[in-house]
Amino acid sequence: MKDICEDIAWAKINKDVLKSLENPRKLYWVILFVAIAMVGVAVGSEIYQYMDGMGVSNKNNTHVWGLYIATFIFWIGMSHSGTLLSAILHLMHADWRKPIYRFAEAMTTFSLMTAGLFVAVHLGRVWQIYYALPYPNGRGIWPNFQSPLLWDAMAIFTYLSSSILFLYVGMIPDLAICRDNMNPGWRKKLYTAFSLGWEGTDRQWRNFRVTYLTIACFLIPLAVSVHSIVASDFAMSQQPGWHITSFPPYFVAGALYSGCAAIITLFIILRYVFRFEEYMTLPILKKIVRLTFAIAMVWTYLNLIEYASVWYGHDQASKDVLIQKAIGPYAPFWWTMNFCGTIVPLIMFFKRFQTHIPVLFAVSLLLNMGMWLERWMIVAPTFSHGYYPWTWDHDQWPSLVQWGIVFGSFGWFTLLFMVFCKVFPSVSMYEVKEMVYHRSQATKKLVASGKLATAGLNADNLNADRGAH
Amino acid sequence: MSVSNLLENWSDFRHTHPVDDVPHNPYKWAMSIDLDACSGCNACSVACYAENNLPVVGKEKYAHGHSMHWMRIERYWDEDISTEGGRDFPDQGAQFLPMMCQQCEAAPCETVCPVGATNHTPDGINSQIYNRCIGSRYCEANCPYKVRYFNWYDYPTTDNVWPAEMNQQLNPDVSVRGKGVMEKCTFCIQRVTVAKNNAKNEGRLVHDGDVQTACQQACPTSAISFGNLVDPKSKVHRQWQAQQVELNKDAQTKDKAENNEEGGGSKEEGGSLRGYRIFEELRPYPSVMYLERVRESAV
Amino acid sequence: MNSGSIKHLIKPLAIRLSEQTTLAKSLVMVGHPFDRRDFLKVLGWGGAAVALSGCGNGSVEDGKETVVSYVETNDYMIPSISVYFNSTCAQCDAGCSITGRIREGRVLKLEGNPDSAINRGKTCGLGQAGVQHHYNPDRVRAPLLRTGNSGEAITWEKAYALIAEKMNGVSGEEVAFLSGGVSGHLKVLLGNYLDSFGCKNHFVYEAVGPAVLRAANKKSYGVEMPRFNINKAKVVLSFGADFLGAWVSPVHFSQQYAQFRKGVDGQRGVLIQVESKMTLTGANADRWLVVRPGTEGILALGIINALGAHGVTLSGDIAAAVKGYDKERVSKDTGVSAEQIDKIVALLKERTPSLVLVGSAAEGYAHGSQNAAAINLLNQVLGNVGKTVEAAAVVPFPQMAPLTGNTAALKTLNDGLAAGKYKVLFSYAANPVFTAPGAMKFPDNMAKAGFKVVFAHYMDETAMQADLVLPLDSALEDWGTQVPEYMAEGAQINIQQPLMEKLHAETRGMGDILLALIKLRRAEDYKKYDDYYAYLRAAMLQNKNALGGGADDDTFWTETLSKGIIKVAGTKQILSGKVSAAGLSLPTPAAIDAQYPLQLIPSVNASLRDGRHTNQPWLQESPDPLTTIVWDSWVEIHPKKAAELGIVEGDIVEVTGKNGSLKAQAYLFPGIHPDAISIPLGRGHEALGRYAKGYGVNPFQILDTVFDKETGELALHETRVKVSKTGSRVIVVKDEGPVGGKQMGKKIAVRVASDKVKLSEEV
Repeated sequence: MKDICEDIAWAKINKDVLKSLENPRKLYWVILFVAIAMVGVAVGSEIYQYMDGMGVSNKNNTHVWGLYIATFIFWIGMSHSGTLLSAILHLMHADWRKPIYRFAEAMTTFSLMTAGLFVAVHLGRVWQIYYALPYPNGRGIWPNFQSPLLWDAMAIFTYLSSSILFLYVGMIPDLAICRDNMNPGWRKKLYTAFSLGWEGTDRQWRNFRVTYLTIACFLIPLAVSVHSIVASDFAMSQQPGWHITSFPPYFVAGALYSGCAAIITLFIILRYVFRFEEYMTLPILKKIVRLTFAIAMVWTYLNLIEYASVWYGHDQASKDVLIQKAIGPYAPFWWTMNFCGTIVPLIMFFKRFQTHIPVLFAVSLLLNMGMWLERWMIVAPTFSHGYYPWTWDHDQWPSLVQWGIVFGSFGWFTLLFMVFCKVFPSVSMYEVKEMVYHRSQATKKLVASGKLATAGLNADNLNADRGAH
Repeated sequence: MSVSNLLENWSDFRHTHPVDDVPHNPYKWAMSIDLDACSGCNACSVACYAENNLPVVGKEKYAHGHSMHWMRIERYWDEDISTEGGRDFPDQGAQFLPMMCQQCEAAPCETVCPVGATNHTPDGINSQIYNRCIGSRYCEANCPYKVRYFNWYDYPTTDNVWPAEMNQQLNPDVSVRGKGVMEKCTFCIQRVTVAKNNAKNEGRLVHDGDVQTACQQACPTSAISFGNLVDPKSKVHRQWQAQQVELNKDAQTKDKAENNEEGGGSKEEGGSLRGYRIFEELRPYPSVMYLERVRESAV
Repeated sequence: MNSGSIKHLIKPLAIRLSEQTTLAKSLVMVGHPFDRRDFLKVLGWGGAAVALSGCGNGSVEDGKETVVSYVETNDYMIPSISVYFNSTCAQCDAGCSITGRIREGRVLKLEGNPDSAINRGKTCGLGQAGVQHHYNPDRVRAPLLRTGNSGEAITWEKAYALIAEKMNGVSGEEVAFLSGGVSGHLKVLLGNYLDSFGCKNHFVYEAVGPAVLRAANKKSYGVEMPRFNINKAKVVLSFGADFLGAWVSPVHFSQQYAQFRKGVDGQRGVLIQVESKMTLTGANADRWLVVRPGTEGILALGIINALGAHGVTLSGDIAAAVKGYDKERVSKDTGVSAEQIDKIVALLKERTPSLVLVGSAAEGYAHGSQNAAAINLLNQVLGNVGKTVEAAAVVPFPQMAPLTGNTAALKTLNDGLAAGKYKVLFSYAANPVFTAPGAMKFPDNMAKAGFKVVFAHYMDETAMQADLVLPLDSALEDWGTQVPEYMAEGAQINIQQPLMEKLHAETRGMGDILLALIKLRRAEDYKKYDDYYAYLRAAMLQNKNALGGGADDDTFWTETLSKGIIKVAGTKQILSGKVSAAGLSLPTPAAIDAQYPLQLIPSVNASLRDGRHTNQPWLQESPDPLTTIVWDSWVEIHPKKAAELGIVEGDIVEVTGKNGSLKAQAYLFPGIHPDAISIPLGRGHEALGRYAKGYGVNPFQILDTVFDKETGELALHETRVKVSKTGSRVIVVKDEGPVGGKQMGKKIAVRVASDKVKLSEEV
């Protein structure tokens, strides 16, 4: 199992990464095309729903929310991966994050953008969406600051803008590399504009480090709060199965979980499509897999806490919802959710599967499916079996319009992501260089101290190409 | 309006009900429904359609749960009817329950609306501002009674909802709701407003009987009473008082007596009360009191 | 908001300021060649029990009908301010008085008129939907003449000319006039019209009326429709009388019921309902007793027998009649346990007065009259006659008294049609093609009539068969007087008046049409009346002293219209005290037919009734109170029987009888005898309009043509059927949730035993 070569030349790093902007494998185009087609489905469905009314989504006065809210939570959750890898692991000095944090951050941004769309798609009167914004107006009408939904809107807006900033700031040195290596054309102009005159001076690096660290510190509490607030949409309500105190941490854990699983998926795809085998190495994958496994167990614990607190609690209505989940019409989904969320990750416990790409690919997809189902199983069963038996509705399923938009959202995310990877370097060149440098320095120290005897490593060579940039 | 103004007047902007320090004055609209009189005939529901411009959605949409009956009559059987080992026949009849918005004082729907489209009026009615509603449906999601109805389609332009001529019946005092807004029982606020204006013109308060809701007016058995809970002369006030049901309590004498709690009086005395509110324990403090259905024990 | 989509069609309201008084003027003309007796007959006061005041002693004032445009409105027509006019609900024959709310010339809503003793300001759902009858988009808008399979719009002149032409040379014997229940001046005019050509073939038909009850009451009490004082009774024992739903005068009884529940002398009334299929009233009973279909009379005799055993003195004939109806036998025959009979007997003995009612469930058998007589006997035994069964006041003008319909009339008409007796057939306020049992082959027989004229609001099934369809004004556009069959307190004549200007230019009031038709015959007598309104006004003014009017015609007339009700000093009928029970014989219940093991109970839904109002969408979407099903028919079947047959809710089942079959969704309903099934009437239209056509099935079509032995009434409950699964299944469209009306242990609709509460201390 090969990790990143510590003797890799810096010029080669630049060359390899920049190549990803030019000629990916054919699979890239296939994915892009499929994504566009999926977006087409969603756009068609949304137009139909917009013209005819929300009724075509087959929600009703019992099931007022459906897949849109579930998928909204899913995408918000997905966004936590970027913050985890960039900010948390950055602060923890985990160097293995360096080749992969860029695309994780992009994931954050794009999944938030996708989630934001669901807010609009969900509204009955999307054309009045600006009512939810606290803009000053002569009539003194404000949104309702008591509503978790309003907190939601604000948290997401803040998180999205911060994530974009974080992604962008972290990309500036790389954009400069792109600018310097690009032939004249629109791309060169784009990189020139976006790199903000980065020259790599000491002062620039110093300011850059401080800025990056500051945003990272800012982003961590934001990420935690964002999903806690999404959890509040439910926890602050009065419905059985929703008003559960442990929901905020449970949601955050679920978010990190699905985010990590998505990183594994995209890791495998990008590695192949952009020929990043040398950077996105298996030892890195192994680390992500172990991290994912740990989070899976945290999530499982919190999930069981939820069940237990309901089961041993005094609230019969909540208990009924739980029983309904297990034996009612949603049972197949609920059991699949528990299976995917708790049993499937156990595969990652076994060492030989920790780097087994086909298995991991399948596992990561299953985990994400489980996490998507988890959100659906939070939303739907409570509606179907709430407080008021007369209005129970166990047989209301989402229409093709809902499925179409949910389906299309995956295309939308993929489209944004794939375009990003083709236009911007999806592996951080400067951080990989740092990583390689630090590792080689460490190796050198070990060699010098005689603790490591390695023939093929020449410490001097490692730094030979430092001036390439 | 500035943000500072907003912050300064925060307590007016939203205050929680029920509150002892800001009592309702001079009006608090409330209802009481005598289930022993209610025959379940549905006249109230049809009257509500007529008064409040409710769309008839048709069979297909009804099948999908899109019906718009602000007032629905629920029919309950005893739990043991036609179950294993239970009774074969409902030999004590059915139980009917007219269910509409309970106009909760601490309404779960009000706090969650992101745009403040559903509010508490000073009269204690849970109002719905159609123009402000953006259709997030959070209010209905949080309603324990599920008595809010969403416009899943644009009924004014839907075929055969209000075709030519039929549209002439629409009540001009009530907005016709377009697609994407939430609606619900308003306690016939258009009638309340007229009564209040008339009273104001005459320099008095609304007397009991000045205003009737459409359901109350139609009800052939006069099971529904509606009026001002603050007015000691109103029937609703007297009924609530006789049943010892208080608006801002979450356990009434009757409940306490049944649970042998303190303040419940004797079990017999508490047990002879019929007034109760549905889901009192969730503390929405509903403005509708139901009177238990009575069944003869001698036959 | 999409307020732009409300098209406020503001139409100028035409108001008749003062009226056509040329008529009144002519009345005082001395020496006018006018026979007084005929005149009385023309105006409907013939045979009046009160003396008519001298005619034409009011002040006569010239005036003319004025149509005021909206630009120049009356003082009381202020935009955005509602005005209220009183009229009478025509949705059923109970005669509830209504108040219409009118704004900008449009009627918006109907409320009950508090001054009416019948409904006291209340309305039922059916009454509320009256505006949808008026504004219905499927109303017929012009006279239609059949050409081939389509109708061609023609003018009224042409229509009248055509009728005159077809009636030419046809004797009165060869004309049949079918109508629903009629009363008041319309009945007078109709009678006079038929007299004008010597026609005696007026068939008054009501598909679901209480005709057997009338006959039985006549026998038992000497009057067809006494007053039932539910509010004065401490116990009501009802044999299938759905008085809260569709029986006789439901809004009136509902109010009485509310008082009855509040209690007489502080004692809450107890309702015991005996029937094979739970009605709305049954669902409100303290004790609902399911009996084997058709054995209601046996139970009544059993109760009398037990009362006798408990010390109630029975006269010899009664004792003889109930001999042998001991508890064991009765219990075996009816399925009601002996303990239950004991309890009822104890209650009836202890709490007096009580009231025993006979409803359609007891009437609808070949021995329906006997059932009803046996049950009425209970009232006599319990001494209720004169207390809770009271003589009603009657309007002292027999000519205006209601002609009530029955099904025997339909049979006679049908036989006549089959024999080809009639060349011309008129049909008004009836839809026999829809409501006649299929086995009667009414449509085929109707085709044998040479010329068929149907007066119609909608193109219903009968209108579809007509040669000439004459479009009627809605009840909210038309003038009229109505005398209810069931009188509450005191006698009253109800006024029907337009609440707004006609929606469609080419519709006519039934009175106007009859007037036009009668003018073809007796032009001289009626030429003074330009329209039915003029006729009506003249008629009312003619007798205004007896109607409680003052001296001034205009004041009287304005007040009458304003009140919408004329309360008259009615003549009190005399109830016969005691009737012999001799001759009472009830058949022992028949053994179950192996081929057709189930009894079909066609149920009468409070809002759809016989199906004439099915095209009013509020009624279609108003859930059936007991099943909460909307927009469709269903087959009620007991869960036990369903389990036996392997039927679950939503299964499309085929119901087959001797006279055909139909397919409908099954609904498992605990309130029905396991050996019976029930299908509601009123749906299954093939015409009528967009909200009715194609929804549900029509059980009238498969009824067996069994008739009550005494009255000849169609026995609605005598059809035997079998039920089989078809294999397909649908989701039943209903309001009830998936747990079928269980509260799942939650405290939602709560019940308490009567001995726990103190109703007298309540507000």
